[in-house]
Amino acid sequence: MEYLYHVAVLFCLYAILATSFNLLVGFAGLFALSHAAFYAIGAYATAIMTTSLGMPFPVPMIASIAFAALLSGIIALPALRVSGHYLVIVSLALQVIVLQVIVNWKSLTGGTDGISGVPSFEIFDFALNTPGKFLLAAVPALILCYLFSSRLIRSPFGRALRAMRENESAAQAVGLNILYMKVSIFALSAALAAVAGSLFARYFSYVGADSFSIDETIYILAMVILGGTGNLRGSLLGAAILVAIPELLKFLPLPVDIADKMRLIIYGSVMMLVLVFRPQGLVPEPKGKRAMLVDTEGEDRKADAGWLLEGAHGDQVATVMDGLNLGKRFGGVVAVRDFTIHLKTHRITGLIGPNGAGKTTAFNLLTGFLRPTDGRIELRGEDIAGKKPHELVSAGVARSFQDLRLFTNMTVIENVLVALPNQAGHRVSSLFFKPMHVARQENQNAAVAMAILRFVELDGKAHETASELSYAEEKLLVIARLLATGAEVLLFDEPMSGLDQTTLAEILPILKRLADHGKAICIIEHNLDVINDLCDEVFFLDEGRAMAVGTPEQLMSDPELTERYFK
Amino acid sequence: MDLFLQLLVNGLVNGSHYALLGLGFGLIFSTTRIVHFAYGPIYTFAAYTVWQLAAGSGLPLWLAVCGGILVAAGLGAASYFALYRQLERNNAPPLIPLIASLGLTIVLENLVGVLFGSGVRTLDISGSVHFLGPVFFTSIHIWQVASFVVIALALGFFLRQTRYGRAILAMTDDPEMARVIGINTRRVSYLVFVIGSAISAVAAALILVKDGAGTHMGFHAVFMGFVAVIVGGVGSLRGAVAGGFLVALVESLGLFAIPTDWQASISFVVLFLMIMLRPEGLFSMARR
Amino acid sequence: MRKTAIAVMAAAGLVFASAAAAQDGKDPEAFRFGAILAMSGKADWYGKVMSQAINLAVDEINEAGGIDGIPLEAVIEDHKSGVAKEGVSAMNRLITIHDVQAVLTSFSAPSLAIAPIAEEKGILLLNGGGVSTALVGATDLMFHNRSLASDLGLAAIKHAGELGLGNMAELVWKNDAGESVAFAVEPAWKAAGHEVVAREAVDLGASNIDTQVAKVRASRPEWIGLWLFSPETGLAMRKLREFGVDVPMIGIEYTGEAKEIAGKYSEGYEYASDYFIASDDNLWSKRFTEAYVERYGEEPEFYAANYYENVYVLAEAIRRAKAKGGDYWDGRALAQTIRENPTFDSVYGGTMTYQENGVAKKRVAIFRVEDGEGTFLNYVTAD
Repeated sequence: MEYLYHVAVLFCLYAILATSFNLLVGFAGLFALSHAAFYAIGAYATAIMTTSLGMPFPVPMIASIAFAALLSGIIALPALRVSGHYLVIVSLALQVIVLQVIVNWKSLTGGTDGISGVPSFEIFDFALNTPGKFLLAAVPALILCYLFSSRLIRSPFGRALRAMRENESAAQAVGLNILYMKVSIFALSAALAAVAGSLFARYFSYVGADSFSIDETIYILAMVILGGTGNLRGSLLGAAILVAIPELLKFLPLPVDIADKMRLIIYGSVMMLVLVFRPQGLVPEPKGKRAMLVDTEGEDRKADAGWLLEGAHGDQVATVMDGLNLGKRFGGVVAVRDFTIHLKTHRITGLIGPNGAGKTTAFNLLTGFLRPTDGRIELRGEDIAGKKPHELVSAGVARSFQDLRLFTNMTVIENVLVALPNQAGHRVSSLFFKPMHVARQENQNAAVAMAILRFVELDGKAHETASELSYAEEKLLVIARLLATGAEVLLFDEPMSGLDQTTLAEILPILKRLADHGKAICIIEHNLDVINDLCDEVFFLDEGRAMAVGTPEQLMSDPELTERYFK
Repeated sequence: MDLFLQLLVNGLVNGSHYALLGLGFGLIFSTTRIVHFAYGPIYTFAAYTVWQLAAGSGLPLWLAVCGGILVAAGLGAASYFALYRQLERNNAPPLIPLIASLGLTIVLENLVGVLFGSGVRTLDISGSVHFLGPVFFTSIHIWQVASFVVIALALGFFLRQTRYGRAILAMTDDPEMARVIGINTRRVSYLVFVIGSAISAVAAALILVKDGAGTHMGFHAVFMGFVAVIVGGVGSLRGAVAGGFLVALVESLGLFAIPTDWQASISFVVLFLMIMLRPEGLFSMARR
Repeated sequence: MRKTAIAVMAAAGLVFASAAAAQDGKDPEAFRFGAILAMSGKADWYGKVMSQAINLAVDEINEAGGIDGIPLEAVIEDHKSGVAKEGVSAMNRLITIHDVQAVLTSFSAPSLAIAPIAEEKGILLLNGGGVSTALVGATDLMFHNRSLASDLGLAAIKHAGELGLGNMAELVWKNDAGESVAFAVEPAWKAAGHEVVAREAVDLGASNIDTQVAKVRASRPEWIGLWLFSPETGLAMRKLREFGVDVPMIGIEYTGEAKEIAGKYSEGYEYASDYFIASDDNLWSKRFTEAYVERYGEEPEFYAANYYENVYVLAEAIRRAKAKGGDYWDGRALAQTIRENPTFDSVYGGTMTYQENGVAKKRVAIFRVEDGEGTFLNYVTAD
């Protein structure tokens, strides 16, 4: 039944498109609606390569993928500077512009005429020029693309992607290179769309710009959303349904002059109904434990997380980080002015002060989340102004957040795992070219992660979803995650807030131990007992300035400060 | 120079049209955060209804326009009731309403074809022609600008001076807070859908008279409304107006030197540049 | 309704029974053919008009006894206003489920996309819509009963030349049909010693062409070439006149839709088109027009005429092939028959002959719109 085979070919094409789009929209959380542009580039590249240049397989396919990846870079760089609704529009705008360029570049693309006569695949005189025969190419292509996507997702890279989607700033704070991940996933998603485009050209044998309009992107988006974002199987289901329904509706007998319109009405209604009753899609994304990716065998191994818990200077007390005359202005508001701080190993420094004093801003400056408008920051003598947060984490400076920002839909151990440094699995090339190496690292990292959890006594909850933890446990996880980065300088933003006495008593020793091991610790706190107990040196900030510096005792006996703050 | 002036005037007239669309769409979007693509086909419905009443049933034009406004307002409220409200209740993740709205768009657009038949509709009303030096315009153009001014002023007054208007402003600013202080956000949502759709009906009627109505006219309308709002800044109705004028002027004057083959993408280039250079829009959350 | 019955019969009953029928040269129970038209989307006016004409022709032929007693059946499919992949899906359905041997096609993109399938499966393709150069030669099995758009354009400028007009401004449809006209016309006009002072693109479904019109006006042309099709033809006329552009407008098409939009501004517009006029010395066209008006309440224009005619061409081809004997109900056999004897009666009057390239040679004429109706001015001689 050629017609059924034809529908099957359409399904294969759209399944590849939906899967690749899901990578971008569902897994990376980037709602960039320019997918049809990559589909078009893939189709046109193959069409031009075969008709004008006579290139045989696999050259056109490779060209399609290369051009799409290139275009994705051109689109991604501006598009990724914005997010949310803006990304939607910018990407849509870019898609329209790309298609317009294609249509107007008559000499290359045939303009509005399009390119016809694209030859199908041919193996030893066996041409795949009927729907049934074309399935021999379409189905393997779909399987390969699906497996590729699957490997990408169920990998350390995929885990990092999920973390990024949960909370981008937290992901940066644990050392993940956000830009690399976004650009990579954009390029990979585009490359797969180009594969579908290449197949399109070979199958339909005619490539014209009106097959790649905004309508097409929206159609593919609908498949992803209907099937379920963040779930590859959902994409297959979504593609199947949205390809099948219009075809099935054609069997519905209706008066000829309004038949097709009625069918479209039914189609639109079905879309609406599914979304109303199942907004997460038909196959929702698995969360927490069910989505967990951990080499559980590795967990049980003995591991020494020591190197992560130690400072790098042995027993010496050394000044690791200096913030010199730091200032930060937001328009007319001065958040921080002339702030100087020195962080030493084996020491705990405290930052106190009323709300809005600039303490968190100071942290943001020290960790690369904000650029100082004045002053310098030095890490081990080197100027680090302008470095991105993840670069600083690799260099040895990491921070936690006042509002925790845990990866709530991931398990406890994954929260720690994703923060471990130097993971080969975070690079896409390693996933496919060095799979054994990645697997070995996963095994080791699982053990290390468990060791860290043991250090904070959370190992019993390793497989719990982070959102299920009690408040105290969450605070412990924040510490564990921070430790996992292996950074020497640890900046804790209100690590103890909201905790009762018993828990405090459990957590305080952990911080002390870390300092003893050689970490340089700085904490923001409101709880003065904690400050008294832990800190060697305390800075009192108000209105962005360090009003006083000294030991806890010195500050707390100062009458003026007592007046301002301590009462 | 003559051409430039003519294009400028064209831009201002079209700007009034886009600004109206921006006001209507922006009202809905800023308040409810719903990307209501179905705004387009409802606009089309209004145009065809006006035609049906005026040409089909022979009613005087002003009465037909009222009919169109009623139909649009009704459809807007129905959209919220039947679709968006359900999604809100089920706590749908963001952008689900966008896709659902696309489903609704498909339904309504084809419904127009089923109910009214396909094909372009025109009214046999021609504006009188006026010349101002080398520049020419018709009385319909004047109506477009005038309607915009009147509606913009009326809307501004309503938002600032009446209780419901202020409730809308509050909700635009912070929906959660609005709920906390006792504003019935559901009722306000209905209200903005009704008002927003009604405004689009006026724009639709004017286009029906000026160019004629086609079954696909809504798509361009909602896109322009969307672009106007984003360029102007989400949450700012003044911004939607500015955005509408900016886009229209760029569309018109931009093609002064560039071949008209690029007409479809010029507004997108503006949009793109705007978002790159000033993502918060011209006015961001400025008070109207 | 007859057309519903036909469509329902065709669609519902044949999912599994289709393969068996008409394989071995015996007479089939019905000559089922397909039509892939713009039944939805922004160009749905075309689909409406074309399908109406097709159904009228099918009913007429069947009422007259069909072809040797065997009825014709039309299966109408939708390509959503010219989306290539929809055309391919429709083609596959028609071949697999309805086992057609001939398809009436429309719009360039779907036609180009189904050409290789027709070639592979041996299906006759009859096109009655706009003919762009890209379509010619796409497959030997495709025939067009309308003059090449570029030929119509050349006829238009010839007329302009005869009127002594000079500088031309153009409004061009932004797709292959419109651009093929501009492509052919510009060098010819320049070779005759004139200039092209403006060339503005108009998107299909464009609502706002104020800028284009303003630029045309600023270029101060002596006349304007409207290389557009419905409904933009009407919009262009209206806008040009509203903007105070009074020079002659000459184009390649005029339909009821254009008339509707342009209203009184269509007065004086001239166009080159295949000569379709319901007149007393052309009985068939008069009969066709009357029947169409009676059934649908509106006047037919040449799109309707073309598709009506194509059904008759198909019927005649079947008749001729059957007379030869053998496995006649087969796309390739039908195409062969047409090539062997390419002359057919034309509803435009007299006969038409398909040329080597598959495009029918019809008399092209220049018309002038008076009181909203196109009136014949003169024939265009071939050169």
